[in-house]
Amino acid sequence: MKRTHLLALVLIALAVAAIVATLADAGTYVGFEQAESSPGSVVTVIGTLDLGGEMHYDAHKGLFTFYAFDKNGVRRKVVLNQPKPTDFERSEEITMKGRAHEGDFVATEILMKCPSKYEDEAQVGGEPAKASL
Amino acid sequence: MDYSGEWLVPGEVGRLSTALATATAALAMVFYAWATASKQEEEARRWTRAAHGLFLTHAGSLVLLIGTLFFLIVNHRFEYDYVWKHSSLDLPIRFILSSFWEGQEGSFLLWAFWHAVLGTLVLRFAPRDWKAPVLAVVSAVQLFLGSMVLGVYAGGVKLGSSPFVLIRQLPENMGLPWTQMPDYLERIPAFMDGNGLNPLLQNYWMTIHPPILFLGFASTLIPFAYALAGLWTGRYTEWMKPALPWAFFSVGILGTGILMGGAWAYEALSFGGFWAWDPVENSSLVPWLTMVGAAHLMLIYRNKGGTLHWALILSILSFLLVLYSTFLTRSGILGDTSVHAFVDLGLSGQLLVYLLTFTVLAFGLYAFRFRRLPKSPTEDPIGSREFWMFIGALTLLVSAFQISLTTSIPVINALVGPEGWIPLLKTALAPPIDVAKHYNGFQIPFAILIATFMGFAQYLRYGSNPRKGTFRTLLRPLIAALVLGIGISAVFSFHRDFLYLLLLLASGFAIAGNIDYALSVLKGRVRKAGASLAHVGFGLLLLGALISTGRQRIISSNDSFIAKDFPQNENLLLELGDTVDMPPYRVRWTGERIEGNYRYYDVEYASMEDPNERFVLSPTILMNDRMGNSPEPDTRHRLGSDLYSHVTYAPLEPEPVDNDGFGKEASAEMHKGDTAILDQSFVILDSLHSDFGYGPDGAIAKVEVEAVLRVIHLNGEDYVARPVFVLEGQEVQHRDAVLDPPGLKFRLDEIKPQDDVLVIKSWRKVGDEKPFIVLKAIVFPMINLLWLGSILMAIGTAVAVIERLRLRKATA
Repeated sequence: MKRTHLLALVLIALAVAAIVATLADAGTYVGFEQAESSPGSVVTVIGTLDLGGEMHYDAHKGLFTFYAFDKNGVRRKVVLNQPKPTDFERSEEITMKGRAHEGDFVATEILMKCPSKYEDEAQVGGEPAKASL
Repeated sequence: MDYSGEWLVPGEVGRLSTALATATAALAMVFYAWATASKQEEEARRWTRAAHGLFLTHAGSLVLLIGTLFFLIVNHRFEYDYVWKHSSLDLPIRFILSSFWEGQEGSFLLWAFWHAVLGTLVLRFAPRDWKAPVLAVVSAVQLFLGSMVLGVYAGGVKLGSSPFVLIRQLPENMGLPWTQMPDYLERIPAFMDGNGLNPLLQNYWMTIHPPILFLGFASTLIPFAYALAGLWTGRYTEWMKPALPWAFFSVGILGTGILMGGAWAYEALSFGGFWAWDPVENSSLVPWLTMVGAAHLMLIYRNKGGTLHWALILSILSFLLVLYSTFLTRSGILGDTSVHAFVDLGLSGQLLVYLLTFTVLAFGLYAFRFRRLPKSPTEDPIGSREFWMFIGALTLLVSAFQISLTTSIPVINALVGPEGWIPLLKTALAPPIDVAKHYNGFQIPFAILIATFMGFAQYLRYGSNPRKGTFRTLLRPLIAALVLGIGISAVFSFHRDFLYLLLLLASGFAIAGNIDYALSVLKGRVRKAGASLAHVGFGLLLLGALISTGRQRIISSNDSFIAKDFPQNENLLLELGDTVDMPPYRVRWTGERIEGNYRYYDVEYASMEDPNERFVLSPTILMNDRMGNSPEPDTRHRLGSDLYSHVTYAPLEPEPVDNDGFGKEASAEMHKGDTAILDQSFVILDSLHSDFGYGPDGAIAKVEVEAVLRVIHLNGEDYVARPVFVLEGQEVQHRDAVLDPPGLKFRLDEIKPQDDVLVIKSWRKVGDEKPFIVLKAIVFPMINLLWLGSILMAIGTAVAVIERLRLRKATA
């Protein structure tokens, strides 16, 4: 076998590994009820803020709680141990990463989509994730 | 109808120059193609000359078009939608530039502008027999870009979006009453001032980063055009010679543009770091990776021959990936995964056509010529430079593929997701939960490989090498890398993370190897050392990225609230004037200043170890009613490490508080006997008493109504409050009932006799709550290595490009 062929094989193997890993690492978008059926596992829920529900930020504990509807219309209390994001009330849609915990949803990371703020933002930026290499 | 106060002429000029630019690009493309296809030299020359004229007209009208848009922005012509949306009267002149490219149309224009500049350089300086085919490709791309800003409706299909549309002509405003007012500009306050520039973009990096990044994007077009020209005209290998300097130019500029984006994110955004694997960042990194691969493969071919196919594929891919990146960021498809993408202007279809056209064209041509491409004669020996460069380029390709794949999850959903084109998947894929971990798992091993190849490949000659001598020359950099690695790992304790340790050693080896090579083999001749310098830069960049992110410390982490299953609190509460421990500092928030639209929060730091180390950091919140407030960090830059901090929460509008210190108003409508929850207490309206006062004429002159409220407080205690409502003549007075403790105030605010309802208001004592802010602070050690590496990489690449150009001139 020629070395180039061997190389091609390695290349294909790596590409396949990348595909498999992406599929394995990829989360799924779920609703609150699905999150509750597998407590402990971290999932991504897309929802909207319940503007009628109580929204409370306890700065001393560093806990922010609010109510959100998922895409199926299920309403849950969401607990985030980060400060209340700026302009949270304006959010159109909230992407919440976290897990179900005793009837609540404990979020570790929140991504908001605002109608006005980020509308035309130019290239390059970052989501409020932890930056890493 | 004549509208007063509108400047319509510039709009007409703008639209005409758009049409002219697009039309001349189309004609130039055809003429250049004819010139290329023509068998007779004289005829070809005539076509080329005419095409040159068209291309220069195209470039000229593009400049006119851009100038017109600038003119409108500078003059605040808010009747134009683009000007209204992206600028405002109070915008400082240095940000006017940023307004220009904030929107999609403007950034397309910026991109097209650079294409025109680069095309003009080709027209002027490229070897004569390459001009026509290369510029035919450039013109074709310009035709597509021109159509993106045309803004015409052809057969019910929207073709492009023009920046010269008047607000009153927007489809969504058609038929609104104000569009019928001739003097709407003077009458309607909304048009007196524009919407303004996104506050996040009001940063000096944003005036320089986008032009450089777009120049980088544009620069990938030239190697692509040469590759297609080579395939087209049957000069399957010759195209690489003129394309090579362009490829390295692209590597340098695109790399600089991406890193400037990182610098902007680090200085002005508050996600904490310079890179977040955000889809928008990724999609600009991917073409850079493939372009680095392409440039190195061309280098091999120039010196040794052989890797033609991959050089072609990577050159083509780099440009296509720029198009793909444009599609991702502008079609709105990233939607849920990135908050930083542009909104969809309804152009995604057109962009897709653009992307597919060039993909089919380029790879179609490649497939068509496939059989005629010269075969590589022999295999590269394992000990040769070209073999390892080749492996390196392929590693870059795989790395690009992996990043691209995960970034494309929304595209995968659109294609095969449950609501997609062919619904193969049952549930939609979401991006990985831990994004950084996912990418690092692949990219760190790739970086280790690349850095290792970079460390030793230049010691090898092209062709076969004696095995023994090579190893001896490598000994010095190997030892240096080992010493460096052990030193750094001792300070930052990397020995526990195997991958980190390997990357540390590999990047140290890359740095040491290239310094040693530049000194011992090149004898320090700067002109020849461009590649070494760029490689040292890349090594430092990897090292800086590894240490600063791998060993970043969120020093504001604290245990103020601990619960099982909860991540640690990373934000610290600072009450005004209190000194709080945030090891290795004691911090104190001393107050808030307002300057212009900025609120500054001055935080004093005092080192716990060194009593002389005291400083103040003033992170800000930029206030903007229209687009929302945004926090901006303040960073203390030291040689060895940065301290980065931003305010993650600050109560911006203090609640209205009475003189007596009561706030947090709540109210309820109650019937007699009702129970209401007011400010966490149960309030029962027990009874009502009324009293009347009579005037001298015997009529009722004064009514007093007292409500007896039973208050069951949160603390379990029962209280009685008796607020009184007084009506004397027409005048209403309230005698509020204050309960202290527990610090509550009640008012019988209103009586609605027709509904038999009382309105009770309550306040809580808030006067003794201290003002506070919430702070996040991160230490990034050795991040300066990253910036130093970036600068060296840019300089090294520039030196290499200049040297290539000089050599070409010398041999020509």
